[in-house]
Amino acid sequence: MNISDRTRVLIQGITEPLGQIHTSRMRAYGTSVVAAVSPGYGDQMIAEVPVFDTVSLAIEAVGSIDLTAIFVPPYQVLDAALEAIAAGIRQVVIMTDGVPPMDTIELIRAADAAEALVLGPGSTGVIVPGACLMGTHPVEFYAPGSIGVIGRSSTLDYEVALTLTEAGFGQSICVGLGGNGILGSSFAQWLQLLDEDENTEVIVLIGRVGSTAEEVAARYVEAAIDKPVIAYIAGQYAPTLDSHFGHAGEIVDARLSGIYQRIDDLTIGTAQRKIEAFESAGIRVAHRPSEIPELVRQALTRTTV
Amino acid sequence: MDLLEYQAKELFSEVGIPVLPSQKIYYPQELKHLQIPYPIVVKSQVPMGGRGKAGGIKPAANTIDAVAAAQAIFHLPIYGLYPELVLAEAKYDADRELYVAIVIDRNARRPVLLGSPDGGSGLQVASQSLQRVVVDDTFSPFYARRLAVAMGLRGAAIEAVSLVVEKMYTLFATKDLDLVEINPLALREDGEIMEIMALDGKITTNDNAIERHPDLAQYARDRKADRDRRSKYPSRDPLSASLVTLDQEDRDDSGIGVVCNGAGLTLATVDLLCQAGACPTSFLNLSNEIYWRGGPSLRDRLDRGLELMTANPEIETVLINLVGSVTSCDAIAETILSTADRLAQLGRTFRWIVRLAGHDQALGRQRLEAPDLLHDLIYCPTLDAAIEAGLWAHDPSQDRSQDLSPTVSS
Repeated sequence: MNISDRTRVLIQGITEPLGQIHTSRMRAYGTSVVAAVSPGYGDQMIAEVPVFDTVSLAIEAVGSIDLTAIFVPPYQVLDAALEAIAAGIRQVVIMTDGVPPMDTIELIRAADAAEALVLGPGSTGVIVPGACLMGTHPVEFYAPGSIGVIGRSSTLDYEVALTLTEAGFGQSICVGLGGNGILGSSFAQWLQLLDEDENTEVIVLIGRVGSTAEEVAARYVEAAIDKPVIAYIAGQYAPTLDSHFGHAGEIVDARLSGIYQRIDDLTIGTAQRKIEAFESAGIRVAHRPSEIPELVRQALTRTTV
Repeated sequence: MDLLEYQAKELFSEVGIPVLPSQKIYYPQELKHLQIPYPIVVKSQVPMGGRGKAGGIKPAANTIDAVAAAQAIFHLPIYGLYPELVLAEAKYDADRELYVAIVIDRNARRPVLLGSPDGGSGLQVASQSLQRVVVDDTFSPFYARRLAVAMGLRGAAIEAVSLVVEKMYTLFATKDLDLVEINPLALREDGEIMEIMALDGKITTNDNAIERHPDLAQYARDRKADRDRRSKYPSRDPLSASLVTLDQEDRDDSGIGVVCNGAGLTLATVDLLCQAGACPTSFLNLSNEIYWRGGPSLRDRLDRGLELMTANPEIETVLINLVGSVTSCDAIAETILSTADRLAQLGRTFRWIVRLAGHDQALGRQRLEAPDLLHDLIYCPTLDAAIEAGLWAHDPSQDRSQDLSPTVSS
């Protein structure tokens, strides 16, 4: 992971309305946005960033690039990401939502082969409070500190960061993995990165019902993470999953991941099952967002003793 | 979207997966002109599993039987859905019935081939026999043969089944499917020849990819047109489809409607109300600000969402919790007030509990706390304060502020 205010960032899709808005915000926050790529817009300046027709032209002109932030429409994401990887960029953050799963799988195969890190699609990106933003986080919610936050719920992740900031706990790095589809990186990958990050003392993991991402994360924490982890799971009172009307994919997932033995188990992916998975892995689970700062404080006290 | 059986089978035919001769029947009388020889099977076309057990699949030996079967099936709801059409299909006697499917394993982030030697309706019970082969790299037929062997097949059956799985994979990859399943996949030895037949099929398309597959998009439009023709109510727009009304059962009806942006935030807000003893009557997720397919802005979705929410006569209080990064809180406040004005002019007044966080938060607050405001509106600076206000709206006699203090001992 190379994410700091010195990280040299490319924007793909700066001509999309949200691409432009967020580019300006990233620059204002101190991010080194060195170039943008939008075919047909070469030689222009947009949001005070030089635009190029291809990624290799951008690199020729501005020098090496460490990370690309992708805002292009869904069906163009695979191509944009492959172009970045082919040009040697090894960190790919995809804000665009609604990318077809087979495109994401093809992208992941290419990224694995090139040892590139992919965040998203549908990600809110990464923020290192006080240093840089490669994403869409509302910067006024964040403050520098030592709490790492990993979530997959955009606005709920923002809410938790705001709660921490208001309680006096700044953040080392906050990551949004993306929504419910096939994702470039998982909780496990970022737990490992934050476990190794010397600025992070406590990790807060924000989950929600649906999919078995949290159960897999709980296992990983138990096996490989040394720093204290605190979890919050939304959806305890959500209507239970119905095997006939949806979530068949989630039930199959659960069976495939070997977490549950019965394919017809209706409690798969529920908040209760996730909370049990965390608690049996020794992870404290907050009952509500406003309880997270207290659990963080206790975790910090324990680690300093 | 789950395709109907006949649609799945049309796609199977396109790639060369064997299916039985069949005919679509919209009215029972059409069976009098059936082109398929008897005996046949009449099958309800609803996008649900378990049709056989529910009585939606009936054999017929002649026209009289077939018409009676079709009439019964047209009047049989399966999980609440009536068929728009039935499928009349040749009857087939299988020696063996297998299960094969392809899905994406979201944790492995790869397609996975699934197979069981015990297909048919008993699959769920026999899930222990389910074999899986992950397609780690570019697909090649050996993955399908691995599956066939893992399923315990021998001799000619290996090649017959793996060829079908290979064609299923072609469909899966070229049409961006979430699921392609054949259950049962019938095997029958006919002298020297191993015959294979897809007796039933299920295909789930991927909603994000459907617009780049004109044939699948057409199926979706056909289904919508069928629904609209038969229903008094026009198809629901995406926003009304995400309005959830909770089953109240043994809970008090709080009369609270929750409106949030983002699934996680919506679920968390509902959880907090339920924990405090004031479960909402319904909730609506407006989705995030990042909305890629040229959809309406957050403000437009909020306006429409408030209309939808307040159309339920049980709603007395609307609790709005929005966390934003792009849209100004001041603009959101303006939308809330203009919607409240419009509803009030129609004589529909509500208690409004509003919590906004994000850009221009102070301006939004100022607008919502204006002294000349005509609405019963409480501005809440935090989520917990909004929950407390919701609790008070539900039951003013009780002070439950205790419930909201952290329960963790320090």
